Formats: sequence, C-alpha cells, structure tokens
Amino acid sequence: MFGTPTFRQQFPIFQHHPTLVYLDSAATTQKPQVVIDGITNFYQKENANIHRGIYDLAAKATQKYESVRQKVADFIGAKNRSEIVYTSGTTAAINLVAHSFLLPRLEQGDEVLVSAMEHHANLLPWQMACKAKGANLRIIPIDKAGNLDIVAYQTILSAKTKMVAIVHISNTLATINPIAEMIELAHQKNIPILVDGAQSTAHYPIDVTTLDCDFFTFSGHKLFGPTGIGVLYGKAAHLEAISPYQFGGDMIRTVTYQDATFAPAPQKFEAGTTNIAGVIGLGYAIDFINQFDKKAIATYVKELGNYAREKLLMINDLEIIGNAQNKTGIVSFILKNAHPHDVATFLGEANIAIRAGHHCTQPLMDFYGIPATCRASFSIYNNRAEIDFLVAEVKGIQAFFG
Amino acid sequence: MNDRLKQLYKTVILKHNKAPFHYEKKEAATHQLEAYNPLCGDRFKLFLEVKEGIIESIHFHGYGCAISKASTSVLAKNLEGKTMKQALALCGEFQQVVSPDVTAKNELEEFEAFAAAKDFPGRLTCATLSWEAVQSFLVDKE
Ligand SMILES: Cc1ncc(COP(=O)(O)O)c(C=O)c1O
Repeated sequence: MFGTPTFRQQFPIFQHHPTLVYLDSAATTQKPQVVIDGITNFYQKENANIHRGIYDLAAKATQKYESVRQKVADFIGAKNRSEIVYTSGTTAAINLVAHSFLLPRLEQGDEVLVSAMEHHANLLPWQMACKAKGANLRIIPIDKAGNLDIVAYQTILSAKTKMVAIVHISNTLATINPIAEMIELAHQKNIPILVDGAQSTAHYPIDVTTLDCDFFTFSGHKLFGPTGIGVLYGKAAHLEAISPYQFGGDMIRTVTYQDATFAPAPQKFEAGTTNIAGVIGLGYAIDFINQFDKKAIATYVKELGNYAREKLLMINDLEIIGNAQNKTGIVSFILKNAHPHDVATFLGEANIAIRAGHHCTQPLMDFYGIPATCRASFSIYNNRAEIDFLVAEVKGIQAFFG
Repeated sequence: MNDRLKQLYKTVILKHNKAPFHYEKKEAATHQLEAYNPLCGDRFKLFLEVKEGIIESIHFHGYGCAISKASTSVLAKNLEGKTMKQALALCGEFQQVVSPDVTAKNELEEFEAFAAAKDFPGRLTCATLSWEAVQSFLVDKE
C-alpha cells in the first residue's frame, strides 16, 4: 500500500504537483494532510501560550503540548516523558549536549570520538568543544564501501575518551551503523554516547531504553512533521545533572535580581516560548507513523533503495558512493562526465527532485576525493515507477554529456 | 530534452566544458586567485600573469559544474591581453548578461550563451563564480 496513488493522496503536495517525483526525503519529508490540518486547527481553534495561563484555552494548549511529550517518549521507547526535551531540531539538540553536558567535563588531552561519516551537525559542535578545551577529536574510520570500522573503534576507545557521538544512519552513504554494539562498547568503559537519529527515526524502530544510549536526537521535519521542532532524549540522570543551555522565561523555579534557581528537566532546557505549534504538529506526525508497522516501513524503504541501486548500476560510467553491507533507502551517485549540479538541473527540468552537493558531509567527500554527489532518497510515498523514471532520465543525461 | 535546457547548455557551454581554454596550473603566475562557492563546493584556481597593467595570460584549474567551468573558460579566453581597466569593464558586461533585470543582448556569443541561466536562479552563481573573484581582484588593484 505504500507508494500507491491512494496512499500518496494523503500528501497534498502531490495533488498540487501531480508530476513531481520527490526523491529528497533525507533533506526533509513531505507532510501528510493530517499534520497540516492539525497545525492549522491548533492556530484556528486552540492557540494560547502554554504553562502560564490560568484560563481554559491556555490549560488545554499546555495539556496538548505535554501529551505530545508522552507520545514522543512512547515513540522512541523512553522510560519517562521528562527525558524528552523539545529543541528546534537535531542541530540544536547536539549543540545543547556539546555545550552543557560535555564542555564542563572536558579537559585538555581528553578525547571525543565521532565517525568519518558525520553530518556537520554532529561534527562541528564537538570540534568547537575540543578546540575550546585543548581536547582531541578522534575520527572512527570507515572503509571505502562506507562500513564503519568497529575494530578500530574499539582500539580508539580509551580512558581518555569523554564522549562518543555517532550517526545512526548516514545521510550521504545510507550506512546503518551498528549502534547497539557501539553503545555497549562505550559503556564497558563508562563513556557516554550520543546517537544522531535524524535519518533513522522516521523509518526504523527506535527503542532508546533497550539501546541504552545516553542521548538520542532527531528532527520533526524528517518524519513527516513541521520544521523548527526536534527532540533531545537524555537519560534522566544526565538531564538532571547538566545546566541549562539558554536562560529566560519558563525555565525557572525562583528568580531574584542577583540569582535564580531552575526548574527540573525538561523545563529547564526549554527557555522562552517554544515552538508550540511545531510540537503539536510533531504529535500528529507521530500519530501518522504509528498507523503503520515501523518494520514494514523500514523494509519498504530499504527495498526501494536496493531497487534503485540495481537499476542505476546498469548505467555506464555511473558510480555509487556508499555500498555498506547494512544500508537504507538513500543512494548517492556520480556520473563520469556530468557534474552533480548539472545532473540535478536536468532532473529538475523533468520534475525529479534530488539533491546535489556535499550533503553537509564535506570531510566525507574529501575521503572519497570528490566534491559532491547526486543523492536520491526515498520514503513511503515513493514507488518503483518513480525510480524507473529517474533511471531513464539519468541515462539521457549521461548520453547528453557523452 | 526540453528547450530551456537546450538553451542553457548551448554548444558554447558544452564546448568550453569539454575543452576548456588554458586549463592548467601555472604556479609561477604573478597572481593566483581562488573562486570558491562553499554551498556547492565548486572551486577553481585562477593563475593570472599581469605585467605593466596588462593581463598577459590567464590559466585555471579546479572542479565545478559545466556552467561554472565553461564560464571560467570564457573568462580566461576573453580577458587575456586586456588592460586591467578593460578587464573590469568586461566583468561588468558579463554580470549584465546574467542579471535578471537586464534584457538587452550582448554581442559576444560566448557571453550571451549564459543569459539562459536567468531561467535557473539556482544556477546563476555558477555562471558568475569566477567573474566575481576576478572582479574583486581588479577592484582591489585599482
Ligand atoms: C544525519 C543528520 N544529522 C543531522 C542533521 C541536521 O538536522 P537538522 O537540520 O534538522 O537540525 C541532518 C539533516 O540534514 C542529518 O541528515
């Protein structure tokens, strides 16, 4: 049922652009009508600021806002809704952890570990923290196929390691990292670990309690929800121990001119008026996903990826970047004679939306010795016919550039 | 292949992309400039040999899409042998060709080929990348 015309009807963008072939879900997913309606309905009928109002409308808005927190907790398997912090997205969530959790406990000569395939969002915050303290950022290597080198990871983990941050699914290579094993290995040495779930949360079952990761982050807009809302999951003990990241209204217990004490987590991390409508929209997005079996979603998206790889590889002088053993429905490729931006322009004229560039993974591009790739990424509204069309167009482009 | 695309990737652009003018490194040149677009990763090094106010030669090397490569090639070909002042005027002329507000046509076919980029706002910076780098170099020199 995924990918069928009836299924696609739930996404109004396809009614407004009937010939659109949208293959850029790794950048952001399209939004189902229920999410759009939910946000509109909130603004039309339920809008009020949360937490401080006594009147009925404010109480209801607060209740809805907080009920989404429970929904998120259930969605990713958190034990308690107080472990769910709303942020503006994955980037903000990682910055919060790097700044408030890591920085105060990082010292000169310490080490922080990330992989060679990180998105800049899970690289730069750690880079900055290390620079500020004279610590070393160590890179977990990958092989040319895009598999993380788990043996090297074990050797790099040491008494000096203060933090590990790892992407669950690479937005460029499609690699699904062995995070359960990585978390266990880090914990054997009492090292906290953050998992960047930006690419995994929409399509893969997530259970942070079973995984036992210390932090987990994701963005609403990559799981059929609105932009500007994301989540930081943190183990209760960590969230209690770390200081707020931003200061202002809504995050305090008491305030005098000279001093303040703060509310418990998660409120102490949600200073100011947050993205209330975004939270509401995220709730509807989770309801939308919960109608389906997440394993079925994962299988569907993976199979689309495999199908695309198989068909694309039949084209002469086309190379796929990212051939790890365990991978998802994302395909990065380059053509011998046409630059990714020219390819994307041609595909754009055929109303096929793909992404061309470094995908915010510049060091990874350097590793492969290329400046950019074309990237097609799939979700539940895509189907094989769209992939056939993509492949036919790419063939034409290859011929044009000769 | 639709007409807008054909218009954009005219023979001029394809020709310069395949066989770019003076496409080689000249580390000994009097001036080296970098044309870099951090958003897309296109990056060219330009080697200018300037003597007594005259640009005697321009070579370039690097990586970019067909449009940025062809536009750099056209730049190298057309600015060679020009005085700094003439070169600056040509930079202005090229900018006019791709400016969405300008409808007048340029006589140079090699310039006018880039006018079609106006239909592709996302690609305008590809056409102007190296021109802007050279322009700011020339302005600094003035
Ligand atoms: C793997 C990965 N991490 C982090 C991010 C950053 O997400 P956001 O831009 O929503 O903060 C992205 C999205 O581009 C991503 O793909």
